[in-house]
Amino acid sequence: MLAGAEIACHKARMKCGRERSGGVTRRGVLAGAAATGLAACTTRRDPNALRLWAMSYEGDYSPHLMPAFTRATGIPVEVQSLPWTAAHEKLLTAHAGGALPDVMMLPNGWVGEFALVGAIAPVTDGALLADLFPATLATVEHRGVSHAVPWSVAPQVQFYRRDLLADAGYDAPPEDWAGWREMGRRLKRRRPDDYAFLMLLNWWDALFTFASQTGTSLLRERDTRGNFRNPAFREALAFYRSLFDEGLAPPIVSTEMQDPLAAFAQGYFTIYPSGPSLLLDLHRRRSEIAADRWGVARMPGPRGPGPVSGVSAALAVSRTSTRPDAAWALVRHMTSAATELRFQTLIGNLPARRSAWSDPQLTAPALAPFAAQMLDLSVDPNIVEWERVRIEVQLIAERVVRHLMTIDEGLATMDRRVDQLLAKRRALVQAGKLA
Amino acid sequence: MTRQERAAWMFTAPVLAIILLVLVLPTVLALALSVTDYSLYALADWSNLGFVGFGNFTDLARTPLFWRSLGNTALFALLGVPAAIGLSLATALLLDAKTVRWKPLWRVLLFAPYVTSVVATAVVWRFLLNTRFGLVNYALGWVGIGPVDWLGDPHASIPAILIFVTWKIFGYNMIVFTAALSAVPGDLMEAARLDGAGRWARFRHVTLPAIGPTLLLAAVMSVAGFLQIFAEPYVMTLGGPAQSTTTVLYFMYQEGFTWWNLGRASAVAFVLFVLILILTFVQARIGRRYEWL
Repeated sequence: MLAGAEIACHKARMKCGRERSGGVTRRGVLAGAAATGLAACTTRRDPNALRLWAMSYEGDYSPHLMPAFTRATGIPVEVQSLPWTAAHEKLLTAHAGGALPDVMMLPNGWVGEFALVGAIAPVTDGALLADLFPATLATVEHRGVSHAVPWSVAPQVQFYRRDLLADAGYDAPPEDWAGWREMGRRLKRRRPDDYAFLMLLNWWDALFTFASQTGTSLLRERDTRGNFRNPAFREALAFYRSLFDEGLAPPIVSTEMQDPLAAFAQGYFTIYPSGPSLLLDLHRRRSEIAADRWGVARMPGPRGPGPVSGVSAALAVSRTSTRPDAAWALVRHMTSAATELRFQTLIGNLPARRSAWSDPQLTAPALAPFAAQMLDLSVDPNIVEWERVRIEVQLIAERVVRHLMTIDEGLATMDRRVDQLLAKRRALVQAGKLA
Repeated sequence: MTRQERAAWMFTAPVLAIILLVLVLPTVLALALSVTDYSLYALADWSNLGFVGFGNFTDLARTPLFWRSLGNTALFALLGVPAAIGLSLATALLLDAKTVRWKPLWRVLLFAPYVTSVVATAVVWRFLLNTRFGLVNYALGWVGIGPVDWLGDPHASIPAILIFVTWKIFGYNMIVFTAALSAVPGDLMEAARLDGAGRWARFRHVTLPAIGPTLLLAAVMSVAGFLQIFAEPYVMTLGGPAQSTTTVLYFMYQEGFTWWNLGRASAVAFVLFVLILILTFVQARIGRRYEWL
């Protein structure tokens, strides 16, 4: 891809030079225009620049954080933005091909995996690991050594339509499952063509939030076997399915919901379990949905809110980086409280540095539920298969929701499938090669 | 070796070398990989790599999603190949008719989808197939058919993707058939008509034998193409809903590149390779029986 662009650049410039010497021709002007259009690829070859990869909004907006760094250190930075749907394979193939950037963003769940394969370097500067929430720190460890610096924390919360809830007689969503579902039924009765909740069936976050609120652990025997056939997870799955069975949530996947925010603004659903990244969308598109029409609350638990996974992002430095000192300097800059606060105003990302939370900027009422949840984070199993376990469990949960399986069949299938996924890990743990 | 033979070998040597390097060697390596348990752990430390013999294959046989993806792929091929070839042949026959005017224009318009980018058109089709706002459901509403949840209903998702794929690829075979049809001898057609052969009889006994080899080629290519369907479900449904559009290739991609279980992914690749080989062999035999080859 890169090589192709460079060749195109090169060709465009050659053509341009040759034809200009013979006077200005139409083709020469066009080629010149193409060359300026491709000028981006000449900067890409800047040998002094540090390379940074980040996903989604973080990738799109990180360039705004770079001028301050370049001014202070004189080191230019090139940022590449990756889509979430292809990030995992892109990073792994880049590692296998020796093409990782100097600094990369990783969701905390992937840190152990990339540390295991030797893609990222351990954090040597203890100062980088101070002033963080303990639960996020646990997720960046591999064999007891931190391999990334937490950058943001994004616990799942619920966004709700204030006006629609008021119509149904609520100021805020109830905090326990029974009350939450009852609210859903009332909303559905008032607006039978619309829905109360949006929980996309190919995303695991809603189900795993319910599960973590019960406080159960989903793996057993040193994280080598599934533990889904336990009463607490069964209760969570049954609750999850009931929301679809009663027509309170539409049984759809993300490809069918092209624009969830527009649907939220139109009242297609009232409650949207999501993370802080939605804050940016809500701010950008405030003409569609005014700020007084939505609110934020913690996700409901079986008997009141409980711990939720702080799905969050961390920054890691590649082992193959030729300039580790500059790379760590960039990590230090990006994870400083000041930069994290600036990123909060830009894209809504919530700072991982605890000291940033005493800043007046974070006292907005919409952020209070996040602040409360931040003190009550669950810790995910720190194993390389965890990402896949979540996805495969969600696939089975989708089949349960669509009544292709009963709940108990689903739970048994989850355990069987997860045991299969963890077979290699089990063998390595038994052989004493893995903790 | 005669001088002529030597010259022939010299001319073919570059091609043979390339085939050896980019086709035979990777296939053999993939086969070797498929009997190991190469995974993330092996990427981390080579000592974690183990020889598992047919373990990957027996493991695949026990994975429900593998069978489901095989079934989905078979469904894609069974429905898609006749639909795509039928549509190509029908449009080619229509374009071949003497009464049709502006033939080059129609040809270009019908061929255009084939040369457009899969991803861009898939995104547009996702909008067309949207349950609430899509044009397809809007049109169906006129004839009184209720909204179909095209990409959300596990039973409608394969047909939905097939509509898109057929629209996308039929232009290619249409051009091939148009070329073949122009080679159908006119005097033979004339003679058949004078002998009182109807439209169907003329098609069956004059046109079909003349385009037989082309038809066989199109069938072989289409079967191979449909067995390797990947980009369309990847862009339109991500293999969902309820994994109803997960094809063998999609399954392999996820095993190999998303999860880095290259051992298992190579086993899948090998199974797919054998399947396509068998099907092509059967098709060639059928073709030989009808003396098309």
